[in-house]
Amino acid sequence: MKTKLIEHTLSILLVTCVFLILITFLKREEERRAATSRSSIEPYLQIDSLDFGNPLHTALFKETLTLFHPDSPAQNDSLLRSIEAYRQEQFTNQINKTGGEERGVSPAKLAKLGNMYAQFILVYIVVMILSYRAAQSLAIFRFVRMKQHKGSYFGELYDLVKNRRAKQREPSLSMRAGALFARAILKGFSYAVLFAPAYVIAYSIRSSINTDSYFFMILLGVISNGLLINYANKFFTFLVTEDRKGYVQTAIVKNLSNSYTWGTTDGVSYWALLRPNSLFGSHVFKHIYLNARYQFLTTLKEHASFLITGLIIIEMALNIQGHLGYEMLQNILYKQYDVVVSIILGVFLIVKATDIAVDAWFHWESRKYENKV
Amino acid sequence: MSRSTHNSSAAWCQQKDRLWLLIWISGLTVLGMWDAVFLNQPSFALLRTAFLNSTVAGVLVVGFSVVMGWSVGVSSYFLETRRPALYFPFTFLLNVVRSIPQIVGILVGYIVLTILIEQEVLRSQFSQLVWMAFVISMFVFLELVDLIRERIAHYNKLDFFQAMLCCGIKEGRIINREILWKNSRAHLLHKMISIFGITIFLQCSIDFIVSVGLSTDVSLSNFPVTLGGLLAKLDSKQDILAIGSSLSSMSNMQSLFFEHLQGVSIAFVIVFSLLCIYKISSGLVKRYHL
Repeated sequence: MKTKLIEHTLSILLVTCVFLILITFLKREEERRAATSRSSIEPYLQIDSLDFGNPLHTALFKETLTLFHPDSPAQNDSLLRSIEAYRQEQFTNQINKTGGEERGVSPAKLAKLGNMYAQFILVYIVVMILSYRAAQSLAIFRFVRMKQHKGSYFGELYDLVKNRRAKQREPSLSMRAGALFARAILKGFSYAVLFAPAYVIAYSIRSSINTDSYFFMILLGVISNGLLINYANKFFTFLVTEDRKGYVQTAIVKNLSNSYTWGTTDGVSYWALLRPNSLFGSHVFKHIYLNARYQFLTTLKEHASFLITGLIIIEMALNIQGHLGYEMLQNILYKQYDVVVSIILGVFLIVKATDIAVDAWFHWESRKYENKV
Repeated sequence: MSRSTHNSSAAWCQQKDRLWLLIWISGLTVLGMWDAVFLNQPSFALLRTAFLNSTVAGVLVVGFSVVMGWSVGVSSYFLETRRPALYFPFTFLLNVVRSIPQIVGILVGYIVLTILIEQEVLRSQFSQLVWMAFVISMFVFLELVDLIRERIAHYNKLDFFQAMLCCGIKEGRIINREILWKNSRAHLLHKMISIFGITIFLQCSIDFIVSVGLSTDVSLSNFPVTLGGLLAKLDSKQDILAIGSSLSSMSNMQSLFFEHLQGVSIAFVIVFSLLCIYKISSGLVKRYHL
């Protein structure tokens, strides 16, 4: 653990130093660029009798330039373009707009970013906890269905229809077929939601629901972008791998319950989906779950990166104003790269903090397994 | 469930990867036929180009990731065993890349792409696609590195590895040929399919973001058309908005398949492709017991 901590600290220090140097460099470069571009055109802007908004004045100015510098037409054109760009900037530059701020990283900007950063961290933590629990529930549900030898709903429906002659006296046949069909449709719809990118879901319901609220952002963060389904799949893989191990057979021989029927005393209760840690009693699944969960902990690091990707996509694609992702996009648009680098540094620090927390948690769990706690 | 029911279901689901590949191709073919009849020709041509570009970018990312993942994975093993002093800075750098969320890294790559386009360094659309693919692969190839290290570590514990060394076979040959090529192809294929899925998602998202958020700065005509970029167009977004109104009023449902076909088709291609790729990947895990 000590080695890992040193590695993380070094990584944070090194990257922070590199980013700070980059921010300073970009800020100075921006100031230098602004000063250079202004100094070359400054003398001409000082001429009071010249209005560059007037096409006649501009044409006269161009002719005068050609008279004075007949050998450098390209330079003359370039000067005119610079003046035009400067004038355009007076209307488009964010700093000149109502409520505009100083360009680049400033104390006011940092305070504004800090507020957004705190909100981002809060949303991130909530989504992380919810997706961690939901992924386990989904994986357990899939695992139990696998142990019950249940295939897809359409598969079951196909088999039901295929064997209808043998069962035609059964009165509930059509009802069962209907229920299976409805479940299959519901499953298909759920899959569509789980795999849909957040912006597709948000735009498709934007006309009837306010998609800019925190609640909706958290909901999208958990269910969309394929995040939940892929994370659940990882846990499911761990469960299946553990289930194949020898100790499971030994436990069954030692009379631990091995029934996966829902709701029975020796089976698996539906509550187990929500609180898997506390509810398996003497069921063999308890041990499968605990061992799978132990390995699953380290995947939180990988999950953190995907989760942040998902949240940034939501904020950027839905243009949710006042959020970190949107702010980053705006600063890219206004070419304030020092602010962009500051935001990236902040995001990097969140990932690193998660890495440290997960490593500490894994270390603590490992000590439990090694009987050191 | 009766025994016969279970048996036929199991037989049907045995090779899920192939089944879902068939479903994917069939679904896209049916959509293509529908669009050929009901979608206007310019939009249909754009949709075809966007799908082709996204697929080509996905394949390129997989290619770049395999090359980088394989070389970095094997190199890190040799550095660990032969040059431990270099191993720490090497993994340190890899971990730094790992700590940058993909979307952030790719967005920075797109800023560079914009500059390269403005300076006319990258002129052809294919070279821009290659750049996009390279940038994405920079942030997804580490998954392959992890897999390769995991496979080498797994075989390293077995007698097979030591026995081959005793027979005088070079370590590089054992790793590259015996472990990775002969005994890990299914694992690599599974990871490559996952990377293809991640790429489609990331590329669509980044193109959507760039098209929505930076549209005044970046001339969209300079960028190759992709599914995400096409979805960000105003008419496509209106089509997606129509899904919401059709959910509240079922009478509008019909218009989704005729009037709002462009946006709905793009959204369908993205979601359906991601679902099918996931299912193909899961099918492979099941078939080869990965």
